[in-house]
Formats: sequence, structure tokens, C-alpha cells
Amino acid sequence: MNARDVLDYIGIVPLLPLFGAALLLLFGRRIGEPIAGWIASGLMALAFLVSLVMLFSLLDLPAQGRLQVNQIFTWIPAGTFSVHVGTQADPLSITWILLVTGVGLLIHIYSIGYMHGDPLFSRFFAYLNLFAASMLILVLADNLLLTFLGWEGVGLCSYLLISFWYHRNAAAVAGKKAFVTNRVGDVGFLLAMFLIISTYGSLEYTSMGPAAKIVGTGTSTAIALLLMVGAMGKSAQIPLHVWLTDAMEGPTPVSALIHAATMVTAGVFLMARAYPFLEMSHDAMTVVMWIGAITALLAGTVAVMQPDIKRALAYSTISQLGYMFLAIGLGAYTAAVFMVLCHAFYKGCLFLGAGSVIHGNGDNQDMRIMGAFRKLMPVTAIAMVVAWLSIAGIPPFSGFWAKDEILVDAYADGKYGVWIIGTIAALLTAVYMTRLIFLTFYGNARFGDAFARPDGAEAVPVVSGGSDEGDRGHGDGHGDGHGDLALADDPFADEPTVKFDEPPRPDRLHGHRPHESPGLMLLPIVTLALLAAFAGLLNLPIGNLDFLARFLEPVFHGVAVPDPTRSQELTVEGLSVLFAITGLAIAVMIYRHGLKTPSDDPVVDKLRPVSTLMGHAYYWDEGIGAFVGGPGKAGSSWLDRVFDQKIIDGAVNGVAGIAQWFSRIASRVQDGYVRRYALGILLGAVAIVLFALLWAGR
Amino acid sequence: MIATAQTITTPSVDLWAIAPIMALVGAGVGVVLLRALLRRHAAVTQICFGFSILGVVVAGGLLFRQWNLVRDDGPITTFAGMVRVDPFAVFLGVVVVAATAMGLLLAVSYLNREGLESPEYFALILLSASGMLMMTTANDLIVVFVSLEVLSIPLYVLAAFDKRRLASQEAGLKYFVLGAFSSAIFLYGIALVYGGTGTTSLTGIATFLANNTLFEQGTLLVGLGLLLVGLGFKVAAVPFHMWTPDVYQGAPTPVTAFMAAATKAAAFGALLRIVSISFPQYQDDWRPIVFVLATLSMLVGAIAALAQNDIKRTLAYSSIAHAGYILMGVYAATSRGREAALFYLFVYAFMAIGAFAVVTIAAPRADDAKHSYDDYRGMALRRPVLGGLLIFFVLAQAGVPLTSGFVGKLEIFGSVAQAGETRDYILLVIGVVSAVIAFGFYLRIAYTLVTEPDDETALAGAYAKPRGVDAWTGVVLFAAAALTLVVGLAPGMFIHFARDAVFF
Amino acid sequence: MSFPLLLAIIATPAIGALVVTCIPARRPEVIKALGYAFTAANLGLCGYLLWSFQAHDAGFQFVYDKPWIPGLGVRFTLGVDGISLFMVVVTGLLFPLGLLASEKYITHRVKAYVAWFLMLEAAIMGIFLTLDLIAFFIFWELLLVPMYFLILGWGSERRKYAAMKFFIYTGLGSAFLLASTLVLGFLHQADTGVLTFDFRQLAAWNGLSGTAEVLLFIGFMAAFAIKAPLFPFHTWLPDVHTEAPTAGSVVLAGVIIKMGAYGFVRFSFELFPQATVDLAPILLVLAVIGILYGAIVATMQTDLKRVIAYSSVAHMGFVVLGIFSLTVIGIDGAVFTMVSHPLTTGALFLLVGMIYERLHTREIGEMGGIWKPAPILTGLFVASMFAGIGLPGFSGFVGEFLSLAGAFIYDRPFAIVATFGVIFAALYMLWSFQRAFTGRAKNAVAKMKDLDLREIVVVVPLIALSLFLGIYPKPVLDRVEPAAERAVANFERKTDYRSPETSIHRRARLREIDRAEKLQAKRAAEEVAREKKGSK
Repeated sequence: MNARDVLDYIGIVPLLPLFGAALLLLFGRRIGEPIAGWIASGLMALAFLVSLVMLFSLLDLPAQGRLQVNQIFTWIPAGTFSVHVGTQADPLSITWILLVTGVGLLIHIYSIGYMHGDPLFSRFFAYLNLFAASMLILVLADNLLLTFLGWEGVGLCSYLLISFWYHRNAAAVAGKKAFVTNRVGDVGFLLAMFLIISTYGSLEYTSMGPAAKIVGTGTSTAIALLLMVGAMGKSAQIPLHVWLTDAMEGPTPVSALIHAATMVTAGVFLMARAYPFLEMSHDAMTVVMWIGAITALLAGTVAVMQPDIKRALAYSTISQLGYMFLAIGLGAYTAAVFMVLCHAFYKGCLFLGAGSVIHGNGDNQDMRIMGAFRKLMPVTAIAMVVAWLSIAGIPPFSGFWAKDEILVDAYADGKYGVWIIGTIAALLTAVYMTRLIFLTFYGNARFGDAFARPDGAEAVPVVSGGSDEGDRGHGDGHGDGHGDLALADDPFADEPTVKFDEPPRPDRLHGHRPHESPGLMLLPIVTLALLAAFAGLLNLPIGNLDFLARFLEPVFHGVAVPDPTRSQELTVEGLSVLFAITGLAIAVMIYRHGLKTPSDDPVVDKLRPVSTLMGHAYYWDEGIGAFVGGPGKAGSSWLDRVFDQKIIDGAVNGVAGIAQWFSRIASRVQDGYVRRYALGILLGAVAIVLFALLWAGR
Repeated sequence: MIATAQTITTPSVDLWAIAPIMALVGAGVGVVLLRALLRRHAAVTQICFGFSILGVVVAGGLLFRQWNLVRDDGPITTFAGMVRVDPFAVFLGVVVVAATAMGLLLAVSYLNREGLESPEYFALILLSASGMLMMTTANDLIVVFVSLEVLSIPLYVLAAFDKRRLASQEAGLKYFVLGAFSSAIFLYGIALVYGGTGTTSLTGIATFLANNTLFEQGTLLVGLGLLLVGLGFKVAAVPFHMWTPDVYQGAPTPVTAFMAAATKAAAFGALLRIVSISFPQYQDDWRPIVFVLATLSMLVGAIAALAQNDIKRTLAYSSIAHAGYILMGVYAATSRGREAALFYLFVYAFMAIGAFAVVTIAAPRADDAKHSYDDYRGMALRRPVLGGLLIFFVLAQAGVPLTSGFVGKLEIFGSVAQAGETRDYILLVIGVVSAVIAFGFYLRIAYTLVTEPDDETALAGAYAKPRGVDAWTGVVLFAAAALTLVVGLAPGMFIHFARDAVFF
Repeated sequence: MSFPLLLAIIATPAIGALVVTCIPARRPEVIKALGYAFTAANLGLCGYLLWSFQAHDAGFQFVYDKPWIPGLGVRFTLGVDGISLFMVVVTGLLFPLGLLASEKYITHRVKAYVAWFLMLEAAIMGIFLTLDLIAFFIFWELLLVPMYFLILGWGSERRKYAAMKFFIYTGLGSAFLLASTLVLGFLHQADTGVLTFDFRQLAAWNGLSGTAEVLLFIGFMAAFAIKAPLFPFHTWLPDVHTEAPTAGSVVLAGVIIKMGAYGFVRFSFELFPQATVDLAPILLVLAVIGILYGAIVATMQTDLKRVIAYSSVAHMGFVVLGIFSLTVIGIDGAVFTMVSHPLTTGALFLLVGMIYERLHTREIGEMGGIWKPAPILTGLFVASMFAGIGLPGFSGFVGEFLSLAGAFIYDRPFAIVATFGVIFAALYMLWSFQRAFTGRAKNAVAKMKDLDLREIVVVVPLIALSLFLGIYPKPVLDRVEPAAERAVANFERKTDYRSPETSIHRRARLREIDRAEKLQAKRAAEEVAREKKGSK
């Protein structure tokens, strides 16, 4: 059986986790912990292996022939329009399924440890599997509509997982916000598909290339930008980025898998798939590029101010995604994909590490009351340091190669504006990541009894999972409110997230003593750290070591890849290394000793009021909230209470009222006096007579 | 036929032609005689009742014979063309006789209950009915007038038949005064028409107008108008309707049922004859009048009924609205219109009598005066069959599909739609809209019957000992319901019946 | 066809109603059993109909024809095509489930309830199966009666108001339908001398003057728009939904409001093609307003049933949008939505009913945290909710997508505005869900029981079907397609309207060929490459 026949079975990859999801949703309760977790992870492992098989059978094919479309069955046949359910195996999709199944597997394993003791343990893994399945459908689809199915599927899972601890109001709200914000993007996606249907009628990816040339620049621009709107929703690009930070309400593995490594990169995937339209339209590319650049910069500035470790990482994710779109806008699709991979590794590692940190100190996410954890949780510390250097862009770690390929392309393209912005953003990245690492692992320890009473408040008595017995804590003491009743009496447990300008609450810790996480959680962290360190090897800009570029080349054939001269490369790389180190140095200077007290963060305090602006993410989110909650709500309330009930329905009932009114008049006329009745007859007669005399017979 | 009417010198008298009328008159007179003879006899009422029923049955049989007769060898014209027995007459005769029979059957238990037992009741009904039959066969304005009086005077008495109830007395009086008033107008109309054409024979008028053109139509037209007033009063068309609510409400319920069904049939018979035999050329003059009458009747009837609090009164208003629908058929002035009108009269008779029959026996209190909605609240829950029947009849009157009422409306609207001019369409829309308005009060009745009353105590008293349904009333209810339903499901035969009846 | 299948489908429930009325009221269990028997039997008949229906046949099948009211040329003509087929089947499915759902809810006057319920089914079946306009009207009007008494007898507080409003408001629309029908019939008679109300003959005749056609179209529209319900004639729907018993709401949302849309496709299209083409923009505007307006107002509702009621307004907006896109895609989508909406909304109403049976409130404010005590209920609610939102993979999406696509092809602005409806759809559903189901369970809620087996059995089939149709809608679309094609062809034949699809179709074909060639080339090149490898 030759390679193509094998590739025709690529549909198995999503089916495996899908089966797991179904199994766990139906019988999850009975299966229970931890088998449910192992089933899910096992299926992911299987999926990963299958993906590897697929990779090799794809490599069997000659470079130009690495495309295998398999239309499995007709999905929606409607008149002149018809869509199949089919798979498209090509380097791009293979890359992505490897990423999803690989990182997914690691995070599944991690979750077995992390979700230990949660009453909804098996449901969590059902959702994770469902997510993996949807994501795989998304990337393996051979047409936009099926991709959209996966697209919405991951949206659904994101919703379910963000509001996984539904008893928390914040979580429920955040899930809703994520889904609705994504719906805004979906409008773009849908309209793009309608435009395609109404112009050339076929949603298959393979027909995009020729189609783009047929429909012309105008339509291509429209399609590309509409798809970009969709991508902005999914990949949290400004202005649709508001949901991602709130998504941190979900369990940390979710943040790692969905909101850092895989789902949020779906937008990048979509734009890469739709490259023919971008290639047709210079304007569209420019727009995409600038959106990416601006997002990268602004999100970076916001990340610097965040006290909450997860929110900081979330903003950093947004900023990194900005880089990827920047690359797309440059036409450097390979660079974007490369960035996606590296980012998945180091950001995944960082999130899992953060999870381990949070897990290890009583669900506290506030970096201002951490510090000096490196002794208490050494493995996590080392792994995260590696990831930090990687994301900060320090050679030879992967982040450096990924980011610099983009910056080099920008420079080589003569897009100096975005290049400068990118470089500044790189500096910011170094700053906020360094801040994060130092506040967490180095400097002074700002937890425990020394800080338990910030304002002379009573020390909260130690509850289960207290300092003396760290490890029993996993069971029920923490875990972001495992089994909500366990924490029902704790006023803070409901809202672990710490927003900017919220005062630190050391008393939350209950004097809980930080401790390292179990091996089950450390294994994935370490693995990802290694990947984060060495992923650069996938695509070195030296000689013909750029495996990834050559692997992906057939997908983006006919794309003019900017090939920078050696000198350009060296200048840019030199400069960005310089900037990275500068940023790193600055942050180290500031946070070397941690914070004097949890409540004062030098950068935040020095840069007021700018820091306030940044900390609140330029009030964009608050603004939207204020509008929706204010005029928006008032308006729709008016529509309901006044327009609908008074005006429209009022009209309806008014007619009935008029009839009743006439009725009362009529019965008042019937007063029972014969004379009036006789008068009535007489008048009638007179009227008829007059009619007969004056009008009739003429 | 006109030729024959002229050649005859001495009036030929064909007693077969008026046999049904004679039968009823005979029965009526017989009842009076029996009453006089058997004054002492205990079962005098029963005997009289039996006798009157006999009379009605005989009349019915004779009508049946006449039907075949006129179907086979054309209409019978006799008494110098004053009486004319044609399918049209026979059809309405059947309606009248059926209504009469039911009016009699309903009365038995009622009179006994209200302590009004006296054979005069039957006599009056029969005499009034004979007048109605005469009216349906009348081919001369004079005969129309005479029969009008013959049918009215007993009705005046019947309306006031309940000596103890003031409402009844009042009803009788009002009906009498206004009836006299309208009769006078009608008579004056006859005079003017005679002045205009020199004849009172309907066919005669037709021939005269066909052969001569009038200089000055004023007299004739005013006369025609006044005729319409007189008959409009009898059919309770707005604005000559104001007596209806009071009389219908005040009169003993069986009388109301009889009036609603039979009087309409007779009066519309005369109306249809006059306008379509004598004045076809004057369509453009009388159709607008009928248009207005129909519109007013439908709207006023439907709207005024909304605010009523008494079921009998509500039904009175609804009968006004129904008069409006039948007037639409008259307005159409086509054979389809006449057919529709006849058909509607036929089905309405049964719907109306059915409804009133329920009211007759379902009145919770012993006193016939109490028919307010509150008295009927929750009745269908206590007495499912009876309540269900009332709901059924009421919905039938509302024109809900699969009842005769719907087919009737369909025929009526169809005839107007067929007429096919803008103003016809306007009337059509008015008709359908008023039908929807009418839903309002019909549904209110239904609602009242199926909802629990606010205070159980009021009901406890009312339904402490539910009044049983006597056999005669049962017969009436069954007949009415069966017919209403059958016609609704399979109207074919009855429509043919009505169609055959439409020629003079 | 020897066996009058369609007649049987109408007659079975009617007979059932008759039989039930003959059973003494003190034997509720017998009455219920009979109810199940007859509805189930009818479902069986519908299944047989579905099975023996010839796909890819545009005409009417199983035609049954008998004279009814000779005087008016009214005939009892039954027939089914791709558009009515699924409405009939869905009706057949909803009634047994509705009855099963009422098991606990209906405790008093079971007999009357079952009888009315069966009669309702008969009326609805008649509506979807008759081809004679008068007969259609008869069933159309007949439907009001059982619905009226169901609301009245088993509704909630303001049931009198709701029942009255339903009967009179929709009755008003029907009045114009009747008038227009009669006028149409007699105009036809005046022109051809034949008096008939068989809509196929009337459709074949095109002697209508322009103005007459427009006026008659509006007359029909009055009935259909109110029933649909199209903005701004929608206000009766929320009132009736809130007051009606659960099963009533299910049937109402499931099939009764589809009758309006059905009327448009079945009658307005065939009888008044020119007027339809001319007035389509107006209806599209109303539809678009309905989509957004219904969704926005739904967000503001505090009564869970009202939320779903207004969502129905929005969904029917999508249906009308698809219908008046006058494209095969759009009509396919609209009819498909008419099939899928009953499943999703039906499930939602059933679940809300079950919540009501437990908490005796529909106020969202008095709920909160239902998830914890009732995970199964919540799980099913989530499924139906996302099916309703139009998540791909559920049937709702297919219909919405096609309707919007059709509208987009017909005229972009409508579709562009309408597409924003999907945002609000998510907003109102998720917001209500969040308020009602998440958070900590309050006392009353905390004690509530989860679904029992019966209730699960009631809801799951609907969701499963919705899921199946979302993944494999082909069976439905294949049967709807020919009818939709016929409708559009009818326009192109009778009017100067030309469907914009055709040109796209040609281009799409070119694309297909182009791509095929390219793939061929690739394969060839690769074969060559392989041979080279082999030779080395």
C-alpha cells in the first residue's frame, strides 16, 4: 500500500480523540480517576504515532507531489453548491497535527497530575479530547467549511474549559466572553465563505490558487481581510484580543494547550491556508502585517504591568501571536509556522510551569507574593528559566531563531517600520519575561507569616493543605477550587485571578508553603523545556539546515520569499540580540532583589500614570464592557420594554381595545327606551328615503 | 308563466298549494278548541302538544310532497298569482317547519319548569308559523303584509308569555310597539310601490318595469326603500335592530330560539323575492342600501356583542351579525348569492336553536332571567356534554371549519367574491374582518364554560342539583348538533338542496 | 397508490381523538395508552412515507383526490413533495414525544388534553398535506381550536389572554387568506370558466393582472407573516409560548410557526411569482430586522421561555431570509431550518418545561447553579443550546449557513447585516445559560432532581437527530432539492427573474475541471519522479 493510500487514512487522527471524548462523556463517571486520564492520554499518544506515520508517508512522496486530498463523503449538497467532508494531507497540515497531538499528549499527561482530586476529573479529559479532535479536524479539513466546523468546535471546547469550574462566576462569564468574542470573528469567516461561494462557488483549499487569480485583486482583498477578521477573533489580535486574558480563569493546562500552544494559532493556520488571496492583494498583506505589529507591541507593554503570572503570560501570548501575523503579512509563511512551533514549546512550558507554581502555593497567581521559589521547586524553576531565555530571544534557544527570521524578513523587505516595532517588542518581551521569572523564582520570599498580615488583619487560620503537610494538599486543599464545596467557605478561592491594581492578598496563602509538583507534572514541563531549547534546529537560516522551510515550500509554491543577504541577517540578529540582552539587563536590575513589600512594584509605581494605562490594557476591555453594560444594555432594554411591549404589542392590543370601546358605546345606545329604538328605525328609514330620492336612479 | 297569470280570469284555487299552511292553522285552531273542550282534563297540555306536533308533522309531509311536485312540474301559482309555491318557498318552508317543531319540543319542559304550562303557547307558535309559511309563498306585496302581521302578532304575545317576569312583559310590549311602527312603514312602502307601478303583484311589478320606463322613479324607489325598512326590521338588520337584544333576552328562551330561526327565514324569503323578482332592474339602486345594511349589521352585531354580560343577549347580537352575512348574499344579487343566503338560513336555524336549546335547560337558576356569564362559568366542567354542545354551537356560529357555520360563511363570501367588483371585495373584507371580531365574544363564551369559577360557593348553589335533559330537548339538541356537524363535514347534498331551491 | 397513505396520516389522530372522547374520563391510563398508540402509529405511517418517498422527484407524490364541497369546486386533494415531507415527519415525531413529556405535567382532565392534542396533530397534518386552497384554509383555521383549548385548559397564569390573542391575531391573518383565496378562485373561474381551488391548476393559470397579483399576495402574506411570525407581527408568540403547556410550546415552536414559511414557499411562490419577485426585498428587510431584533430582545428577557420564544423569531427570520433569497441554496437552507429548528427548539422547550416542573418558575433570576444538582439536564441543555446557536455539526448550522449564503448570492447587504445575528444568538443563549445554570446552586435549586429516564428518552432523540442531520444532511437536502429547483425554475419561467446562481455554477464547474487537471498533472509528475527513483 503506497504512501497516498496511507495518507487517505489521515482522518483516523481526529477520530481517535473524538472516540475518547464520546467514551468519557458517556461513561466518564463510571470510569473515574485516574483511568479516564490515562485513556485520554493513550488515545492522544496513539494519534501522535499515527501522525508520525503520516509524516513519513508524506516524506515518501516527491516534494512537489506532497498533497493528498481525500473526499470522504458529500456533506452539504445544495443546488449548485456542494461541500465534501474530506482531508487534505500536506506539509502544513502534517506539521500542525504533529504539534497538536504532541503538545496535546504532554499536556494530557500533565493534567492527570494537575486535576488530581477534582470531582469533574473525567469530564475534563473528555473536553480535552474533544478539543484535540476539533483542532485536528480544523487543520486536516480540505475545505473552509469543514475547517469552520473544527474552528467552532475548538471554540466550544474553549468555552467549556474556560468555564470548567462553572460554580465560579468569573469563570462562567469568561467562557461566555470568549465564545461571543470569537463569534464576532466568525462573522468575518462566514462572510468570507459567502463571498467565495457567490464568486466562484467552491470552498476547497485546492481551488483557492486558481480562483484567487480569477476573482481578481478586489475580491481577493475582501476575502483575505474577512478571513483575517476571523483569525483575529481566534488568535486574539487587537481589537478582538479581550477574551484571551479572561480565559485564564480556566484550569492552567487549558491555558497552556488551548490558549497558548494550539487553538490560538488556528488563525495563523487559516491565513497560511488562504495565502493565495493574500498573495493577490498587497493591501491585505499590509493590513495583516500592521495588525500583527501593533498587537505585538501593545500587548508587550501591557504584559510588563501584570501582577498575575497567568495574565502576564496571556498578554505575552497575544504579543507573540502578533509576531506570527506580522510574518504572515510579510509573506514569510514559513517563518510564521516556525514561530508557531517554537512558541508552542516555550509558551507551553511557561504555562505548565506557571501551573506548577500556582499548584504549588495554594492557588496563588499573584507574583507579588511569590519569590525565591527556585529552591522550593527547582525542576520547575530550571525548566522555566530555559523557556524564559528562549522566549526572550537569547541565542541559541529556539525563540531567537524564530523571532529573528521574522525580523530579518521584515528588514530585508524594507518594512523598517514594522522591523523597529518588532525589535522594540522583542525588548519588551525580554523585560516582562525576566520580571516574571525573577518575581517568581528569585529575589526575596514575599509569602508566609512575614507577609501574612498586610494591614494588621487577622491571620487566616491554616486550612487543609497547610504548610506542615504540603503534599496531602493536592487532594482537596487546592486545585483552583477542586470540588467547589471544599472551598465554599473561602471568600477568595472563587477568584484566583489578580487584576492590575488589585492589592496583594498574602492572607490568601493560609501560610501555605510552596512545594514542588509531582513527577507526572514535571515530565511534560521538562520535555517542553528541552524542545524550547533546541527547536531552533528545525529551521536554521544557515546553509540548507532550514528543514522546515524546505518541507513547507511546496505548500507555498509561487510565493516570493524574501531572501536577505548575509549582512542584513547579521545586522538584524546582532541588533535584536543586543536589544534582548538590554531588556533582560534592565529587568534584572530592577527585580534583582524582588520587591520590598508585595504592594509596591517599582516599574508600576515609577511609570504612573502610564503604567496605569498599560496595566488596564489601555482600557479597551473596560471600555467595551462599559458600553455593552451601559448604552448597549439600555438600548436593548428599551427595545424590549418600550418598543416591543408598548409600541408593537401596544398597537396590537390597542386595536382590540378600540373594539371594546365601540362595544361599550353600542351597548350604551341600547338604553332600553322604546323611543330611542323607534328613533333609530326612523333615522334609518329617513336615510334610505333620502338616498332613494337624491342619489338613486341617477 | 307571466302569460298564464294574465289569461286567468277567475282565480283558480289550488288548495294543495297552501295545504301546509292550512295544516298549521288547523293545528293551531285545533289546539284552541281542545283547550276549550278538555279544560278539566289533567293531561290537556300533553294532548295539545301531541296535536300540534301532529300538525307540524303533517305540514312537513305536505312540504315534502310539494317539493317533489314543484321540482318535477314547475312552480304552482294560484290565488290569482298571489300565492306561488316554488322550490324557494318549499325550502324556506322546511326551515320554518323544522324551527317550529323544535320550538314546540323545547317548550315542554320549559313551560313546566317556569310554571307557564298552557296550550295557548302551542297555538300561538303554530299560528305564527303558518304566517311564516304564507310569507315564504307570498307573490304579492299584500300577501306579504298580511303574512307579516299573521306571524308577528302571535310573536308579540309569545314574547310576553312569561306573565311573572317583567323583562318578558317589557319585551312583548317593545316588540309590539316597534313592530307596529315598522309594519306601518312597510305598508306605506307597498302603497308607494303600487303608486309607482299600478300593481302589487311581485311578478306584475317585474313585468311592468320590464315593459315601461318610468319618468320619475322617486315614488317607486322610496317605496322600495320603505319595504326594505320593514323587512330589515323583521330580520333585525342594523339600524332597525335595536329591539332585538331586549326582546331576545326578555322572551322565554324557546320563543327566542323560534324567533331567531324561523322569523329570519320567512322575512329573508320575502326580501329575496321582492328584490330579485320585482326589482332586478333596480339593482344599482337597492344594492347600495343592502351593502350598508349588511356592513352595519355585521360590524355592529359583532362589536356590540363583545361587551355583553348576558349569554342570551350576546346571542341576540350575534343573530344581528348573522343577518348581516345573509344580507351579503342578498347583496350579491346572483343565483349563487341567493343560494348562499338560503343555505345560510338553513344552517343558522339549527345552530341558533341548538345554542338556545342549551341555554333553555342549562340556565343554572330556576329563573329564566339569569343568563349572565358568571352563571355559566365552569359549566363545561360540571356538565361536559351540555357545555360541550354549547361550545360546539357557538364555534359553529363563529364559523369554525368542519361545522355548517363555516360552509355557510364560505358560500356567502364566495358569492360576494364572485360578484367581482371593487366594492364587492370591500364588502368581502368587511365580512371576514367582522367574522374575526365575532371570534371575540364566541371565544369568551367558550372560555367562560371551561374555566373554574372564582368562588366555588356561587357554583355549589347553582349546580347543587343539575337539571336533567328531558327527552324532547334531547331530540332537539341531537338533531341540531348532528345536522350542524354533518353539513360541516359533507355539505354537498345540502348545497345541492339549496341550489335547486334557487329559482322562482 | 392503492392505500391512501396521506389520508391515513390525517385520519389516524382524528380517529384517535374520537376514540379517546368515547373512553370514560376516570380511566386516564387507558386514555394515555391510546394517545401513545395513535401518535406512535402515525409516526410509523410517517416513517413509511419517508421510506417510500421518491427522492429526486420534483412533483407531488401519493396524491389523493376526492370532491368535498361541490358547490364551490372544493376538493379534498392531498399530496406531498420534498418541502412538506419533512414537516409531516417532524410533526409525526414531535407529537408522541410531546405526549410523553406531558406525562407528569398533565394530571387533571387527561381525557380532554389527549383528545385536543390528537386533534391538533390531525389539523397540522392536514395543513401540510392538502393541495386545495380551501381545504388548506379549513385545516389552517381548524388548528386554532385545539390550540386554543390546550392553552386555556393547561396553560399558566395569563392563559386566557394568550389563548385569545393567539386565536384572534392569527385568525385575523387567516381572514385575509380566505378572502384572497376566494377572490383568486373566482377570478380564475371568470377567466377560464372552471371553478377550482386546487392550487396546481391555479398556479398553472397566469391570467392575473399585476395589481391583483400584488394584492392577493399581500392577502396571503397577512396570514403567513403573522403565523411565521415575521417582525413586526411577532408579539403574540412570546405571550403564547409562556402561557402554553410544554407540549403546546413544543408543537407551536416546532411546526405551527413553520406553517407561515411553508405557506410562502408552497402557495405564494407558485401562485404569485411576479409579486413574489417584486416584493421579495420587503420581506427580506423584515426578515433581517427579525433576525437582529428577535436576538437583541431575547437577551433582555428574564423568562427562560420568552428567551427561546424570541430566539424563534430570529430563527424564523433566517427561514424567511432563505426563502426570499429566491435561490436554490437559500430555499434549501430555509426548508432545512424548518426541519432542524423543531428539533433544537423543541428540545429546549422540553428542558425548560422539565426545569419548570421542578422549580415551578421560569424566571432566570430565581435559578442559578442548576448544573451542580442536575448535570444530565445541563448537559442536554448545553447540547441543544449550541445546536440552537448554530454550531457546525448540528443541524441548525447547515440551515442557517445555506439561508445566509442564498441571501448573500441574491443581494449582499441583506446577508451581511443578517450574519451579525449569529453574534447575538450566542450572546442571549450563553448569557441566559450562565445566569440559570452556572454559579453556586441556591437552596431550592440545590435540592432539585436530575432527569429521570423518561425525560431523557424524550429529549435525546431530538438532539441525536439534530446532530445526525448536522453531520449528514444529505438525505434531507436531496429530497428538498428538487422542490426548491422547481420553485426557482418556476420564477425563471414565469417572470424575468434570473437566479444569480447559474453564472456561479458555470464558474464553479470550470474551477472543478481546472482543479482536476492540476491534480492529474501533479500525479503524473510524481509518477515520473517515482520511475526515476526506480530506475536509479
